[in-house]
Formats: sequence, C-alpha cells, structure tokens
Amino acid sequence: MIDYDLQLKLQAHLDGELSPAEARGIQARLARDPEARALLAELTATTAALADFEDGRRLPESREFFWSKIEREIHRDASSASPSAALPWWAGWRRWLVPIGTAAMVALAGLMATRPGLAPEAEAELADPGAFTYRDYTARTTLVWLSYPAEKEFPADDGSDTMD
Amino acid sequence: MRLRMSVEASAAWLVCALVCIGLGEGKLQAADAKLKLEAQLIWATTDHQSPDPSHKPVDADILKKLQDLPLKWTNYFVVNRKIMEVSTVGPVKMAMSEKCEIEVRHVGNGTVEVALFGKREPLVKRTQSLPKGETLVLGGNAPNATAWLVVLKRLE
Repeated sequence: MIDYDLQLKLQAHLDGELSPAEARGIQARLARDPEARALLAELTATTAALADFEDGRRLPESREFFWSKIEREIHRDASSASPSAALPWWAGWRRWLVPIGTAAMVALAGLMATRPGLAPEAEAELADPGAFTYRDYTARTTLVWLSYPAEKEFPADDGSDTMD
Repeated sequence: MRLRMSVEASAAWLVCALVCIGLGEGKLQAADAKLKLEAQLIWATTDHQSPDPSHKPVDADILKKLQDLPLKWTNYFVVNRKIMEVSTVGPVKMAMSEKCEIEVRHVGNGTVEVALFGKREPLVKRTQSLPKGETLVLGGNAPNATAWLVVLKRLE
C-alpha cells in the first residue's frame, strides 16, 4: 500500500516539480517498488489522456489577472446576495416601528382622554334662565352666577330667604 | 432569519398589547377613583368684618381666585366648610346651610356633576372636569348688596 506522501511525490515527479535530490530518491524507490511503478504508470497514462482533451487555448492576460477578475466577481455576488447590506440602516427598525408607533398612538389617545384639560368641558342645565357662566382660564376658575335669590325680592332687613 | 424577525415582531406586538391593556386598566381605575372635594359656602361683602363672629375670612388661595373674578365684593367670609368624598357609585348630597344644598357625583375621569338646591328646589346642575387646581364657583346676589357663593375645589 502506497502512502499518501509517496503518491504526492510521484505526482510531483511526473510534473517535474521535485528537486534533483528528491528525484533521485523517487527513482530509487521506483526501482525497488513495483507498486510505485504501477502508480506512476497510471498517473502518466492519465496525464496523457487529459492532455488530449485540452484545446490549448491561451488567456489574453496573465493567470493572476484572470483569477483576480474571477475573485472580484465572487465577492460582488456574495455582497449582493446579502439583503441586509443592500437595505438602508433604518430598514431593520421597521418591524419595531410599526408596533411601537401603534403603542405610542394608543398611549397618546389614552393620555388625551385621561388628562385633565385646561379648559374643562362643561354643560349645565340651568333652572334659572337669568344665570350666566364666566370662565377665567388663567385662574382656572369657573363662575356660574345665578339670579336666585334676586336681590330685589329680599329686602335688606329680611335675610330669611338668602342662601347664607 | 424570517423566523427571528417574526419572533421579534411578535414580541413588539405583545408589548403594544400590554401597553394598551395597562392604559385601559389605568383608565378604568381613574374612572372608579374617589375624589375628595372641599365645598365652602361663602358670604361676599364690601364690609371688612362679618356681623357673625363665627365667620372666618376665606383662605388666601380662594381669596386670590375670587379677587380674579369680575366680582364687585372685596371681602369674603366662610359661612360653612364641608369635605366630601365622591365616587362613581352615587351622588353625595350635603347641606351647606339651612336652605342651600349641593349634590355632587363623580362621573369619572375627574369630572363631577354638581347640582345646587335652594330651599330644596334645583337651581342648576353642572357637569365639569375638576382636576386639582380647578375651582367651580356658584353664586348669586344676597340682601344688602352682598352675595353668596358656593366654592367647590378638589383636594385629592
């Protein structure tokens, strides 16, 4: 059984990537190891078979430049695939703003309903047709003045019918 | 991601619902709350002293309010002073003098319905918001160019 390191070295030897010392070591191993020779033969046949399928097209630019273009496209696709990066900063708050806005409106309506007003709503049923109402907004005072009991009905020497 | 957003949105709506429930409960509590009121029967005159020694001058805050009103009198004396607690359960009737009675009912949210009776006869019924600091004055002329006033203010 050939170990993985030897497999890599055989491939490198086939591609001419080994140093002279390493190449000599591999040659020695091939001389005594039939399994290594068989693997090298198989790799050589595979390389030859694949070489027949290559159309020999050459890039108009260097390999590094060509790869850099591919890399940029990959990064561009990755960034456009992320929806959060394309959305504005406040978009994430929208799901909060709707319920919070609703709660704020309800709270405002509640406060308006429960808050004592500066000008109190009032209605009066007056049995006295001569009565009138005066409102002092600054002093927050409402005066309802009644004609009862009319002064002329009660002589000065008779206080029996007054309210006090 | 969608599930997480859904959970967050649900939590936000839950908070909204709790706020609504809290406000509703607060409003109900406010509607059921009792109001402590002070009612004073006051005699208004230009005399510096009341012929009745039991009459005391009105408190400074009431005096200030009365002086701000377009009334011709300069001195005000307390004939009677009553404290009452009113609620939405039912009206509270109180005699301010032998002939003067008031009936007050809390209709909710700090609003009171005040009915004034003179010699048992209804004179006026008024519904008015009465928050702290608000004063309702009912009045009329009295003999000798004087006047009577019923001043109602909220204590609590």
